[in-house]
Amino acid sequence: MGVITRAVRNISRRKMRALLVIIALGFSLAIMISIPAGVIANQESALGLTENLGSTITETQATINQTLTQIDCTIGSSFEGFGFAAPDQSVPSGFDFTPPDGGDGSGFTPGQFGNGTGAPGQFGGGAFGGGGTTAMNETFYNDINSTLDGVAAVVPTLEVSEGTEEEMEMMGRTFTTLSVDYVIEGIPLTSEIVDNYPVLPTDIVDGRNLQAGDSGVVLLSENNTLFFNAEVGDTIEILDETFEVIGVYSSSGVESTTTLYMNLSDAQSLTNNTGYITTLTVFAESSDVVTDVATEINDLHPELTVTTGQERLEQLESLQSTYETALEEAEASLSQTQSTAFQEVVVAVAATSLIVLFVMLYTVRERTKEIGTLKAIGFSNWTVMSQFMLEGVMLSLIAGVVGIAIASLAAPTLSGLLLPTVSQQVSTFGGARMATTNPGATSTATTAISLTPELILIALGAAVLLGALGSLYPAWRASRTRPAEAMRYE
Amino acid sequence: MSKPLLTLEKVSKTYMLGKREVPALSNLDLQVNKGEFVSIMGPSGSGKTTLLNMLGCLDKPTSGTLLLSDVDVTKMPEKDLYKIRLNKIGFVFQTFNLLPYLNARENVELPMEGKFTSKTGRKQRASELLGMVGLSGRERHRPQRLSAGEQQRVSIARALANDPAIILADEPTGNLDSKNKYEIVKLLANLNINQGTTIIMVTHDGQVAAQTERMLFLSDGKITREKQGRHVAKKKYTCPHCEGKIAPGDERCPSCKKKL
Ligand SMILES: Nc1ncnc2c1ncn2[C@@H]1O[C@H](COP(=O)(O)OP(=O)(O)OP(=O)(O)O)[C@@H](O)[C@H]1O
Ligand SMILES: [Mg+2]
Repeated sequence: MGVITRAVRNISRRKMRALLVIIALGFSLAIMISIPAGVIANQESALGLTENLGSTITETQATINQTLTQIDCTIGSSFEGFGFAAPDQSVPSGFDFTPPDGGDGSGFTPGQFGNGTGAPGQFGGGAFGGGGTTAMNETFYNDINSTLDGVAAVVPTLEVSEGTEEEMEMMGRTFTTLSVDYVIEGIPLTSEIVDNYPVLPTDIVDGRNLQAGDSGVVLLSENNTLFFNAEVGDTIEILDETFEVIGVYSSSGVESTTTLYMNLSDAQSLTNNTGYITTLTVFAESSDVVTDVATEINDLHPELTVTTGQERLEQLESLQSTYETALEEAEASLSQTQSTAFQEVVVAVAATSLIVLFVMLYTVRERTKEIGTLKAIGFSNWTVMSQFMLEGVMLSLIAGVVGIAIASLAAPTLSGLLLPTVSQQVSTFGGARMATTNPGATSTATTAISLTPELILIALGAAVLLGALGSLYPAWRASRTRPAEAMRYE
Repeated sequence: MSKPLLTLEKVSKTYMLGKREVPALSNLDLQVNKGEFVSIMGPSGSGKTTLLNMLGCLDKPTSGTLLLSDVDVTKMPEKDLYKIRLNKIGFVFQTFNLLPYLNARENVELPMEGKFTSKTGRKQRASELLGMVGLSGRERHRPQRLSAGEQQRVSIARALANDPAIILADEPTGNLDSKNKYEIVKLLANLNINQGTTIIMVTHDGQVAAQTERMLFLSDGKITREKQGRHVAKKKYTCPHCEGKIAPGDERCPSCKKKL
């Protein structure tokens, strides 16, 4: 007849009371487990978010730095800004340029010219100068590089939208609209340009990027692969010519990107534009001289529409500040969660030991005569004390097991009820935007709570500790019971 | 004849009820020898239970000394006193005071735990003791499944567990019907004769007290009268009526057939 058996039998003497107490203690302990589990999950999701935001900010910063030296030159075209041409969006067809007849490609010197796409896909730079841009003779502007100071490189590009022309009657007039299927972007694939300037998308998801010297190959966006129903290694037909798909870049930056990249000369011959380009992208030597270079270009060729990176910069900066706000938000709400969690755990800890305290005090009072009897028949103070300590600890330990069971079933619900929904807040604020940068960012929004073996051990440890703490005073009271209480009548 | 086991000298006990003093024992002198079967009678509130508490070291007198085997227990600290209760004294209560969640044998084993007796040793002794009080086969019954008389037998077995020098019983027959009452008194009397256990028993019942050896009368915290009981004769194995020879367990004298 050990002390442990006696403790268990004493607990089971009052079954209903024991049950209620164990459920109450169990919930208290379940809360104690669920909250840290919830915090850990939140922490992980916030950490993921922080990492995503952090890398996005770095990328944005890099793009801004690159953009700072970039000047786009087009003829007679409206600036399309950040309007990413949706595949099914109708773009007014400004495409009535005449295919060059006398145009010769003699003036084109690789290395001297570059290509004119903006920053890689992420921010839709590719759409710059897209749509309604007028073609221009690529040799005509050789003087920009040869006569102006502060020019690092000039990159000529050709951008042609392909799709179905539709006639539309409006207010008595007939308009021709183009439903764009894809946009051909011709980039001069020389190592000087490709290696040094951000002219190609960077976010390759399959295959490889275009390299200097590539010809007869295309780099598709993910959206293009759907349109052409092709993947890396396949050959596709573009305007009746075959190309091999060499790589695929992510469309996630700009969901609607339908731009495919190829060698400039391929694009020129394919679209009957030999010797013609749509955009000249000029890279200044440093961001300090960008404005001066832009002015000089305008002085030299007043017919050109010159756009510096300034407007794009503003866009990027506002985007960056959005990310930074999201990051701060995430950090702030995480620390708020942590402090809320801390307070709740303190309450649960206090509740657990108080429940044990009151139950055991009640038990000790109720069993005064019994305790007196034990002392009258020779039990020492110490034996009585340890008997009651053990009873409190056993009670709490049983409740600990129940608590783990409750937590394993209801931890997400409990922590959802008790913790501010951090990840939700952040994800709706930052995550939606984040999704455009990193598709993984959205998945971090769902809080996955798991009961690790460590947490279970900690919970049982806490149950034992708090049970001991709560029954310390009642057990001491029990040990002080006068043996003469045994003689009392009731 | 025998040397005193218990000696009380000018023992007083005054309870405090708030600021009011309640005297329960006043300058009480008493000697109990080894092997005596003593009964204490007296009106309600005369101090019988208080006296028993002093004798059993459940409480300390306000003044006076109590020698148990020549040791002054009034000066002992609690950390030593529990050993006296464990080893020297066995208690029998009016309300039996068995632990309801333990069976008969486990209740009897309880005092043996403090002596670190082996588990099997405890079980064996508990079974023997239960056999001695006539409860073999009832070892595994919980108290609520035993009659009042049976419960009091378990309680006596428990009191005997550590082979005490004295058994102190506070109205052990108070909650029993007359049949059980005499059975319990007979059990105690036989213990006294066969094992030489010193027994001090408080009772309201004159018939019960008459079965003991030495009847003490208490009133207002003092022993006012003392009388010999029938047990004296039993101890001498002679019939009090015809002086014929009797055995300790006899209910009637084998010679004169009168009730003993
Ligand atoms: N714990 C206590 N606190 C205060 N007074 C007490 C206490 N215990 C006993 N008394 C008082 O001491 C006196 C003696 O009580 P005690 O219980 O010894 O009497 P008793 O002879 O056993 O009576 P009964 O036959 O009713 O059991 C009574 O007046 C009682 O009220
Ligand atoms: Mg009494």
